[in-house]
Amino acid sequence: MREYYTPTLKNRAQPNAAWIESIRQQFPTETTLDEVLTKKLRNRSKTAEHKTDFSDLEARLFAYLKKATGQDDIVMANLHRLSGGASKEQFTFDLTWNLESGARSSEKLILRMDPSESIVETHRLRESQMLDAMWGEVPVPRVHWTDPVGEDLGHPFLIAGFLEGTVQPEGGDKASGLGMFFEPSLRADLKEQFVQHLAKIHTIDWRNKGLTSYDSPRENHLEANEWSLGWWERVWHEDAVEAHPIVENAAAWLRENMQTVEKPVIVHGDYRSGNFMYSDDHQINAVLDWELSHIGDFHEDLSYTTCQILGTPMDDGSVLTSGLLSKEEFLDKYQQYSGNTVDPKRLFYFDVFSYYKVAVISVATSSRAAYGRKTHLDAMMNLLSGFGYTGISALQRLLDQHG
Amino acid sequence: MSPEIEQFLSGMKKTIEEVVMPNLTDRFAQEQAGIVAASLGFLGLIQDKAFHYELLENQEYKRVLSAVVELLNNTFSAPESVIETTAKVTEHFVGDKVDDPTHLRPYKFIRGSNEVMKELLCEFIQQQPEMSTELRGAFEALMKPFFKSIELRERSWVKALGFDPEAEQQADIADLLYKDGFLNIDKP
Repeated sequence: MREYYTPTLKNRAQPNAAWIESIRQQFPTETTLDEVLTKKLRNRSKTAEHKTDFSDLEARLFAYLKKATGQDDIVMANLHRLSGGASKEQFTFDLTWNLESGARSSEKLILRMDPSESIVETHRLRESQMLDAMWGEVPVPRVHWTDPVGEDLGHPFLIAGFLEGTVQPEGGDKASGLGMFFEPSLRADLKEQFVQHLAKIHTIDWRNKGLTSYDSPRENHLEANEWSLGWWERVWHEDAVEAHPIVENAAAWLRENMQTVEKPVIVHGDYRSGNFMYSDDHQINAVLDWELSHIGDFHEDLSYTTCQILGTPMDDGSVLTSGLLSKEEFLDKYQQYSGNTVDPKRLFYFDVFSYYKVAVISVATSSRAAYGRKTHLDAMMNLLSGFGYTGISALQRLLDQHG
Repeated sequence: MSPEIEQFLSGMKKTIEEVVMPNLTDRFAQEQAGIVAASLGFLGLIQDKAFHYELLENQEYKRVLSAVVELLNNTFSAPESVIETTAKVTEHFVGDKVDDPTHLRPYKFIRGSNEVMKELLCEFIQQQPEMSTELRGAFEALMKPFFKSIELRERSWVKALGFDPEAEQQADIADLLYKDGFLNIDKP
């Protein structure tokens, strides 16, 4: 039995029904996010540590694919676990099956599956719907099947086409793609596309995209920002392994300085190096990791993407956004491609919000997942606290600067 | 007591890096082994400072909570919820007195006491919107240097983990913890 220093910490480690309900009431957020976060809490004390032995995965996946395709003559081969990433367990495999046209087809696929608890608890149906919505708009993998409940493989998952390409340039390897280094010629080829794709995402008419698992915030209203902050405040209060005055103070500041969202857009939520892939001819051929996407203020993506601790420090002391271009150039190009005008006051609000979110994910949830031994990456989850505390320091310096 | 903890950690790190990792063929396993080696390296750097880190926090939280309580005791306009939290602080100080020789306590006692004090300070922070403008201003003035102290210490603690783009500009944790060869508990 682990030792709990306070009743709050005991509730977080062993949540009971009344405590879960109080958390849900205190921090309202989107319906499907509430669903996954509540499920996480209900499972927290029921499940043992996360199992990393996947010796039965091949048989279970094969059975699922036969059921999903309705075909008995499928062939599955080369199931391998992927390295990289800090969130979901990922495997690739080859599948041969019959297309609707009757033609026999072979494709390399990726299985993206939740661990028992993840550094971010998200909904596979949301991710799947958003990838469908992005198909034909920006380069994304094609989703084939989704199980948001996890009946067949023991955990929720989605299966999508595997795209060949490079996420991390040779020698640019960093945990989860943070601070990645691109050679100048590669930088020159990728930076324009990097901004263009984000501008495109923000100008898509999301109301006609079948995003039924996303709640629709009202225009010229606080709602979108209330849900965004409610999401991360809730996660902090569910997961933190110790209270933190700076984080608590930042949440209070964010509540008091919240502004309306004039025209809500699709927010990627994690748009940065490590979450896009490029081909040998230097074309971005996939924008990845849509699990944090939601409908909100475009400034949220701009602040997060240009957040200094996510950038790449250069020898001259500057920091490049996603290792590609300066913050100023990024914002100039973004305005040019999107037609949106950047509001410095809103940008500052989301600068604070971005560091707050980094703190929640990398101090609270990563530590909680490792504390409960609930992921396949427990060692990495502990290490990521270094990123989180650096983020808390930057958060406080930002608020100090604001006065 | 020998071998010292640092020696254990150093031996494990070397074995993982020089014996285990070169013989792993699975990329995921290689990646995870690398993270374990990096964690061991970090532990080697900070393991002898963990007790003093908590002890310093204990002294700082006692100091700041005492100052907040004094501020509230001298204020007529303190809201009811704030008064309740003040009572909880007073109650906590019965078990871990401000002038106790806390350095003689076990690590877990100090860690537990610190967690309680952190939660109590966070309660006050949550109650800021209920405070009068004058009280809130005085409260914020107490918090500002305290927050600075926390962020400097935490950032120094984790700088060896390799995530800080400004790591070279951060102080070494030993320089923050100790002054003239002793734990630096005399900070204002």
